[in-house]
Amino acid sequence: MNVSVAPIEVAEPGVLTDYPWITLVWNDPINLMTYVTYVFQNYFGYDKAKAEVLMLDVHHKGRAVVSTGSREEMEIDVKAMHSYGLWATLQQDK
Amino acid sequence: MGDPAAGQIMFKRSMTGRVTLRLEEFEKNVLQDFVREFAQLVAMPEEPAQTDPLARLLGMEGPTEISEDPALARLFPHAYLDDAEAASDFRRFTEPELRDVKVQATQVVLESMALNADKITLSDAEQKAWLQVLNDLRLVLGVRLNISDDERENLDEPMFDVYDWLTWLQGTLIESIA
Repeated sequence: MNVSVAPIEVAEPGVLTDYPWITLVWNDPINLMTYVTYVFQNYFGYDKAKAEVLMLDVHHKGRAVVSTGSREEMEIDVKAMHSYGLWATLQQDK
Repeated sequence: MGDPAAGQIMFKRSMTGRVTLRLEEFEKNVLQDFVREFAQLVAMPEEPAQTDPLARLLGMEGPTEISEDPALARLFPHAYLDDAEAASDFRRFTEPELRDVKVQATQVVLESMALNADKITLSDAEQKAWLQVLNDLRLVLGVRLNISDDERENLDEPMFDVYDWLTWLQGTLIESIA
């Protein structure tokens, strides 16, 4: 019987440091500004003022940090952003 | 599509909070065709030739490479910019579900169009599905049309009219639910 065995997880470098992970949303020429604001309000629960500041950062600076936390939490946020059609990535904030 | 700015074709919110959209028959047909075509584009390809049965059992059968189709690459982009292995793992675990969610949203939109005549009334869940599908359609068309912040090229391209019409529709839907 041919059974594949998952390799033992090796701790990654940086996992013991305190650097949090961040979710970045990047500017794109297609998504409407009102839609991006709507997504930030609906998914993250941000009030309209905060959602608009983040949206304008994305628009003018090319990107914005929209959430901070553990790597697993940021992967959930990035997946959600992709389901809304926003261009998002995660990385360690260092 | 006529002149969308004329303001006739738009989502409206009634005093009782119901969100409605009135579409002409031909507009409905155009939209249905686009939604069906989009559903075919994002549906997971049929059984890959070589699938590890255990991986399939564990729901790990997703793709590991970004699509060569720029529109699909835009819908399912890299989650990590500087870690190809992590990006590949993320894709394998998330892309099948993300594709399923998008296909399900198209089904909700098509059903709400089939159930209603010229005036479509949307529940909260249907509003969300419409918003996502309209946005997805614009993303695919926008990539195909090379939409950028700069001036448009090939202005004769009739798909620009469809793109602008979808943009208008999505904008009025956001206004009526936000």
